[in-house]
Amino acid sequence: MGAAAERTEGTAEVLEQLRERIRKLQAAPRAYLATLRTGVAPFDALLPGRGLPLGSAVELCGEAASGRTSLALRAVAAAHRERRLCAYVDGPGQLYPPAAAAMGVDLERLLIVRPREVKQLVWTAVQLARSGAFACVVLDLTQTGARLALAEGKKLADAAFRGGSLLLLLTAPEAPGDGMLRVRTQAQGLSGLRVEVVRSRQGGMGAGALVPWEALYPALAAARGHVAAGMHPRELLGGGDQGFQRVRTSVERNGCGVMGGRPGRDRALPSLGAALGLGARH
Amino acid sequence: MRLAYVHLPRFPVQRRVLEAPALAGQPFVLVEEVRGQRRVAFASTAALKAGVRPGSTLTAASALVAGLSHFPHAFAAEAAALLSLGEALLVLAPAFQLDAPEGLWLDASAAGLCGGEETWAARVVEACAAQGWRARVVVADEAFTARALARFGVRRAEVVPSGEGGRALAPLPLSALEGAETGRLEALRALGLATLGEVAALPATAVVARGGAEALRAHRMARGEEPSRFVPTPLPEVLEEVLSLDWPAESLEPVLFGLKTLVDRLCARLSGRRRAAVRLTLAFRLEPSGEAQVALSLARPTAQAKLLLDLARHRLEGLTLERPVVGLRARMDEDCADPGQQLVLGDGPAGDAALEVVLSRLATTLGEEALFAAGVEGVHRPEAAVRPRAFRPPARPEGLLAELGGETAEKTREVEAALAERPARLLPQPAPLEVALGVGGELAGARVEGRWRRASGLAGPERLGGEWWRGGGFSRDYYRVHLEGLGLAWVYRDGRDGRFYLQGLFD
Repeated sequence: MGAAAERTEGTAEVLEQLRERIRKLQAAPRAYLATLRTGVAPFDALLPGRGLPLGSAVELCGEAASGRTSLALRAVAAAHRERRLCAYVDGPGQLYPPAAAAMGVDLERLLIVRPREVKQLVWTAVQLARSGAFACVVLDLTQTGARLALAEGKKLADAAFRGGSLLLLLTAPEAPGDGMLRVRTQAQGLSGLRVEVVRSRQGGMGAGALVPWEALYPALAAARGHVAAGMHPRELLGGGDQGFQRVRTSVERNGCGVMGGRPGRDRALPSLGAALGLGARH
Repeated sequence: MRLAYVHLPRFPVQRRVLEAPALAGQPFVLVEEVRGQRRVAFASTAALKAGVRPGSTLTAASALVAGLSHFPHAFAAEAAALLSLGEALLVLAPAFQLDAPEGLWLDASAAGLCGGEETWAARVVEACAAQGWRARVVVADEAFTARALARFGVRRAEVVPSGEGGRALAPLPLSALEGAETGRLEALRALGLATLGEVAALPATAVVARGGAEALRAHRMARGEEPSRFVPTPLPEVLEEVLSLDWPAESLEPVLFGLKTLVDRLCARLSGRRRAAVRLTLAFRLEPSGEAQVALSLARPTAQAKLLLDLARHRLEGLTLERPVVGLRARMDEDCADPGQQLVLGDGPAGDAALEVVLSRLATTLGEEALFAAGVEGVHRPEAAVRPRAFRPPARPEGLLAELGGETAEKTREVEAALAERPARLLPQPAPLEVALGVGGELAGARVEGRWRRASGLAGPERLGGEWWRGGGFSRDYYRVHLEGLGLAWVYRDGRDGRFYLQGLFD
């Protein structure tokens, strides 16, 4: 009887522990993703919520190589760290996934959509954002000739709000979007890129910061630092004659060897005679 | 070994009513061709009440009930439907053996995992009822006892304790000896025996002396001592379900109704096999000939009938068929192991449904090829390093797994270091670049987007080459160039023609 009573007590204790555990799980705040931080501190600091807020649309507007895509991909990587899904509506078809993977994007969780017609781009983004299945939807309208109308901008913002997704719109300065928070990105030569909030209803308009290239492409930091130290921009078209310097970071990845040839097949192997003390052969 | 028999009284009739609910409560019969005559194989309850009996001719049955509906009895189709049910029951039993047309045996040795045989039997009845089948289940030591009690007993679920088969069989009538010869039964009746208990009470030696081996077999059956022979039915390789509509459907609703039956069965079979659907094809047989097909591809493999049906409904809404639909077929083209999903308390997998629906909508409008996930190939030619593949994201760990840290469940993905030096944008085709070279031959400026831009910095070269073994090899010296007013560009000098090309932008 004693053993049985002990067993019953033990079971009751385990049950109570399990109940307590369930109560804690139910009471614990759910992991709630409210903003996506790109990890680029100067950029995140500019935004009202110290990050890109979910449920809203943000436009990144800039020149062809002004860091818009990298910023967007870093937001995608932030969502992937939370194991959420993202989508990239690739209007110009230029997204290079290997580089995205290097930035932390989980390619298995990134849906890439390449509609054939330009007019389908916005519709696609609206569907994706409204579904709520994707934490971040990037709409790349650059080099497509498309210009977002005000109504379309509102539609995108509304879809992002309904779906609780972040919609990132990538545009060029000649065809900016409308109806959403806009961040202008501009390459500033070797020093980095300048980001500036040029349109915002949540405040912070006019705030800007300089983002060093290293923040976007850390792997290039070593070479870049070396270049910056000794580099003087050449007055190429202005007729200047300052010496142009560069860093030689020659890397041979594979395949062809010296001068694009295969040693021993396309070109003769260098003689080992001198090294072996046999003298030069002619 | 403990066996269970699942008896589905007049299974073909039940199936007919399930597929055409309008027949519920109506008198109808299923007829088969026997020596040139159409005879009743199965009759509905209403027809039985009117006096129709299996074995009678259709003419005689029609004379008893005015306006008696009749349908052909297809044994192969009934067996296939029974097989589907058996597969669905594999969630509760490791194997089954068909006993067409009205039942099947289940291996009940795993009943202990479900809280005992009583609970297990009740769950089997529930699983059958969930698919619309009326069933009786009996668990016993050997096959005959289970079958006889299921067919002639009255309880929905019954468990015969081990070694008590004879006692359980005792009240059953002699007709329960279905395995014995008809003549032998008549002989037993002639002796004045009416129940199996009376047969079991006869001395075995006397039974053998009078009736030989066949009588001994009947005697052993009645005593619940017939050795069991359980031969598991092999599972078909192709998962397919077929349904014929009684009337040509001209609108979406009847098609969807049929589709629900089909998808329910398919998903139950998938669950039984612990598999999940990845790709399936829905085919619609049109009147008088022809077929229309709709392929469904899922990003998140699932065995949930509701999700598949929602997806199918969505795809069908955008489908226009020129002729009425007379039959449906669902075939599983690809499936995968289903590890199950641990949900958070009070949570539901609504996100998966939203994902599938939006993907389906986009695939319908843009085409399947417009949606993909990227795979990185281990090649050095930059433009060949990407391979599109189907978007099948891993499931998000939830519940306890997430609490413990989802990272443990996912393998860490390592990225080749060289990829960190690649641009975020790669032009679809390398664009020939008009360049200005400095005194030392280095790139000093380039014409991009219609204007000259000064090169304010340059790093490289990084030589990429290869594919010479295939012919048409390449050798390129890549540079990262800061072009003023543009940013960092990825430019290469082609070893073949010595020209510069713009291939990417570090946007």
